[in-house]
This record gives sequence, structure tokens and C-alpha cells, in this order.
Amino acid sequence: MGSLLSVKGIECRYQQQAVVSDLSFAVQPGEIACLLGPSGCGKTTVLRAIAGFNAIYAGSISLEQEVIASPGNGMAPERRGIGMVFQDYALFPHLNVRDNVAFGLQKWSARERQQAVTHLLELVKLQGMENRFPHELSGGQQQRVALARALAPKPRLLLLDEPFSNLDTELRRQLAQEVRDILKEEGISAIVVTHDQDEAFTVSDKLGVLAEGRLQQWDSPFQVYHQPANRTVASFVGEGKFIRGRALEGGLVETDIGLVKAQQMSWQAGDEVDVFLRPHEIVPGCSDCDVRGRVTRKEFLGTTTLYTFTLDNERQVESTFINADFQMGETVGLRVETDNLVAFPAAS
Amino acid sequence: MDKQYNRLFWNGVFIVILLLLGSGIYLSSKSIDYTWRWERIPQYLINTDPTEIRAPFDGTVVVENGGKRVLVDPDMGGEPFVVERFDVLSVGDGDMVFEGDAVAGIEDWRLGPIAWGLIMTLKLSVVALVFAVVIGLFAGLARISSNPALKNLAITYVELIRGTPLLVQIFIFYFFIGTVLELDRFTAGVAALSVFTGAYIAEIVRSGIQSIAPGQMEAARSLGMNYVQAMVYVILPQAFKRTLPPMAGQFINLIKDSSLVSVIAITDLTKAGREVVSSTFAPFEVWFTVALLYLVLTGALSWLVQKLERRLAASD
Repeated sequence: MGSLLSVKGIECRYQQQAVVSDLSFAVQPGEIACLLGPSGCGKTTVLRAIAGFNAIYAGSISLEQEVIASPGNGMAPERRGIGMVFQDYALFPHLNVRDNVAFGLQKWSARERQQAVTHLLELVKLQGMENRFPHELSGGQQQRVALARALAPKPRLLLLDEPFSNLDTELRRQLAQEVRDILKEEGISAIVVTHDQDEAFTVSDKLGVLAEGRLQQWDSPFQVYHQPANRTVASFVGEGKFIRGRALEGGLVETDIGLVKAQQMSWQAGDEVDVFLRPHEIVPGCSDCDVRGRVTRKEFLGTTTLYTFTLDNERQVESTFINADFQMGETVGLRVETDNLVAFPAAS
Repeated sequence: MDKQYNRLFWNGVFIVILLLLGSGIYLSSKSIDYTWRWERIPQYLINTDPTEIRAPFDGTVVVENGGKRVLVDPDMGGEPFVVERFDVLSVGDGDMVFEGDAVAGIEDWRLGPIAWGLIMTLKLSVVALVFAVVIGLFAGLARISSNPALKNLAITYVELIRGTPLLVQIFIFYFFIGTVLELDRFTAGVAALSVFTGAYIAEIVRSGIQSIAPGQMEAARSLGMNYVQAMVYVILPQAFKRTLPPMAGQFINLIKDSSLVSVIAITDLTKAGREVVSSTFAPFEVWFTVALLYLVLTGALSWLVQKLERRLAASD
């Protein structure tokens, strides 16, 4: 069975400047994909190209095996059957909730339309709000209306552009989970664009990391987190720091913080290697540890505390501990504990 | 913090200044020995003179029935001229009358020339307004079109019209276009006014549409509407609300600008005023009256627009 959406080697421009080039990926039916990247990396431009609001200058985009965009040629947005949820929701301020949701259903009979609106408002938990106007709703409610409106015409693919960026953190998590459930329930394939990795992890089946105008990795969120394809992905996804080390035989790397073992090697013994360590991978060790660090910075985060240790050679490492309360200046034994060490040949 | 003013005192100051201005006008008219004759004005608004019934030929008057029936016996012989319904008798029994003499009068009222002028101004304004809105809407849409031909046409139109005086445009419409297309005065006047106002409305429409977030158009497109449908159902209703205040200003300008068509001999309020001045020799009273009538028209319009605005504001 073929892909639902297939993006092949496209180039997108913003104000005549190529912002994304040679971008390829595919979305399978029923899948929720996510494009993750820092602000200004061109992810929204890609989304708009798929929706039909921006032209592409190389490659092609096909939906259900039909080419919908190629250089100098693009199907009109309204004929693509692609829904979109906008960052600022773009609700129609002159229409109430009912008319907003029913907006894409002009060709349906009044009865069908009413049924669809009732069903959708139930789905997004906005029953009884039919007669409200957008300005009378909270940000989260507006977001729900925007989703219901985009889902109403049963799009072949739904695009969500930074859908939760205007909401507060708590609501963001909750809605992200809810949106995923709704999309799965309705069997709608979607692409979500975001710069928030937590959001991306929560929502997506497939995650693409976009940086410097290129797709760095396209994989499941788990893989992206645990096996980042390169340094850019590693440092963008999750917190962590690179520490310099020297490769030994058998995947061992000698670092400032002791010997560590890498799963996969892309270097030879004797090479300089950058080991990527996430804060939770450094744990307070035994008192007889070879490596000791002095607490030079301390940030209480609630469940965990983020410590910065200065090692004997003046290098610094970061570590989060649960249930530990070290004092500033205290010296602590440290060791690395990880099943899946990420390391790359040192950047020259 | 806002400064707290003594409202009573400053409102009093306002009224005193108005009174001073009023007495200034009165005193300056005194200084040039102007005699105010306001009593001459009402009859040019509403004429209450009795309608006169005139003798159709020379003859002799016969009053019958105790003054309820008047006959004029023709000198040349034949059927007498009979008047049965009248309110005022202007002749006596046995009087000799000549053709065209008033025999009797009927109490009646008619619109005077100033009222007719007011109606003409209203008619001109309303018809020109309808056409101006249509022209302005299409020119405004063409102005933001991505088609270079449409866009440049709209720009040329707007710049051409805004860059030349309305008075000159009226002459061109009447003497050139009017002659070529054989337009009557009213049509030429309406055409000049609507083409002129249309250019300004086009700019208002353009800015109104451009003030709507582009996401609105995109949202409508992604929901299956084409450009035209999105314009009609999403963009224009919102733009309409936003452009209402500048639109009202433009409509008011249109009413006032309509006074210029008096130069092509359309008897609008202004021309009627000029004619009345020449027969009453009361220019001050007439022009003040005319100004007041314009004020009534524009005031009513801005009141209507304000009411509409308040009603539309319900949805934001």
C-alpha cells in the first residue's frame, strides 16, 4: 500500500530565498507525523507548500498518488482536500461557533450539517457553545473550534501549524494528548509542525527534525531521541552536553568522566570522539569513584535538581538527580550510567 | 491620571463661545446695514399661496349662489367658464376680466424651489452613491488583484481621479463624454459624482481588505472555498465592518460634493439657493438655510451609520 502523502526532494523559498531544499518524506495512512525544528527553520513554509499556499521550486508533492504540486504547477488549495489548523486559529470572527464549524460543509444538506456540527462539538468537548462568537471563547476553546472546523469536511490530510503555541504549558500537554486521541479516533492522517519537542513526542508517530533547511532525521520519536542521526539532532532533541573523549578498542571511549561504552561506532580507535550525555545519564556514584566533581551551580526543578559539576580538570558537566541534595562546593563522585550511548566523531 | 475638569463650568464656556460667535455674525451684518428678512424664506421651502384660477378669455364675471359659484361670460359669446370649487374669490359680480386674470384661488400648498433642490440633491446623492459603491468595490478588488492588467487599470483610475478636481471632471463628463454619448444633465452629473467617489471608495475597500489577516483567506481556502467565495463569505463581511467609519465620511463628502453639479445647470439645493437669492435679495438667510439643509442630510446619514456600526459591533 502506497503512502498517503509523498514529498520528494522539494525546495521551498521564502521571499525568493531558499529556506528548505531537497526535502523528502512520506506519511502513511492514519499516521500522525511531526516536523520539529527551531524557529525559522522553514517547517511552516513546508506545511504551507503542502496546503497549497506556497509554491515549490523543485521536486514534487503527491497526495494519494496524485501530484498536487510541482515547480510552476500547483493544485488550488481548496481542491486538495487538505485541512489546516492555523497557529492563530484564524477563526472567522463574524460567525458563531456553529457557522465556523459548518463552514466547510456548504454543499451538505442542513440536516447533515447540523448532525456533523453536533458530532464534532461533542468530539472536541464544546457542546452547548454553538451560539458563542470566537471572541467569547478562551484560547483553548478557540483551538478546539479550529480543530473541529478543520475536521468537518473530512480532509484527506490535516495540517497543524504550531497548534498549541498560544496556550499555557498545562493546557498544551493536555490538548496535545487529546488532539492525538481525536485524530486517531477519526482515523485522520496529520502533520504537526512544532518547535516544542515535548509536544512532538506526545503527538507523533513519526518525527522529522528539520534544521538548517534540511531534514536531519525522519524516524519514530523514540529512535530520534535515543539514536539521533547527527550532532544537530542530538543537541536539539532533549537536553544534554557533548564531552570530548578519545576512542579506545571495542567501542570504549575514555572521557573526563570515566570510561564509557558506545553501542555503535563510526570511528576508529585513537580518534577524538564527542560523547553526548543527557543530564539523567550522569548519576552520583560511589564514594570511591575515579571521577569527582564539585557542585558549582544548582537549579531546583521540583522533581529533580539540575547540578553543574566542575571536574578536576575544570571541565563542566550537567546532571539531574532525583532525591539528592548536595550543597554548593560539595565534591561528589560521578559515573555514567546509560544503555544507549550517543557519540559522534569529534567536530574538527 | 486624567485631569478632572469642572464639567458645568467648561460646558458653560462652550455655550458662551457659541453665543459670542452668533452675536458676531449678527453685529457684522448690522455693521453693513443688512436687514434680515427671514419671513421671506419659508415660502421658498413650502409655498402656501393659493393656486389661482385664471380666466381663459375676456369676459364678464357673474357670481351666483351667494358666492359659491362663479361664471365668466365670454364677450365673444359662447359657453361660460364655470368655477365651482374655490376658497378665495378675487373678483366681484359684474367685473370685467381679461384673459389670464385671476378669478378665484384654491387654498393649497406646494413644494418651493429650495425643497425641490433638496430632493434633487438627495436623488443625485443616492443614485451616485449606489454606483460609487459598485465601482469602488470592483476597483478596490482589482487594485489588490495579482493580475497586472487589472491592478494597473485600478491604479490608473484611482490616481487619475484623485489627481484632478471634481469640478473639472464634471465639465469633462458633461461637455465631452455627455456630448459624445448624448447624456442628459442628470446622468452626466451622477456619472461624474460616482466615478469620482468610486476612486476614494476603491482605496477604502482596498485598505479594508488588506487589514484582514491573510490567515482568514487561507482558512477559507483550506475549507474548500475558492478565491471569490472566500472573498464574499469571509473577507468582505469583515472588511465591511471595518470600513464603515471611513465609508461614512466618504458618503458625507459625496452629498457635499453634489453641490458642484449646479455648474451644469442641475437645479440641486445649491442652484436652487442661488435662484432664490436672485428673487428675494436675501442672500444671508438663503445661504444659511441651504447650509442647514445640507447639515440635516449629512447629520441624518452619520446618525444612520453610527446606528449600523453599533449593531455590527455586537459580534466583536
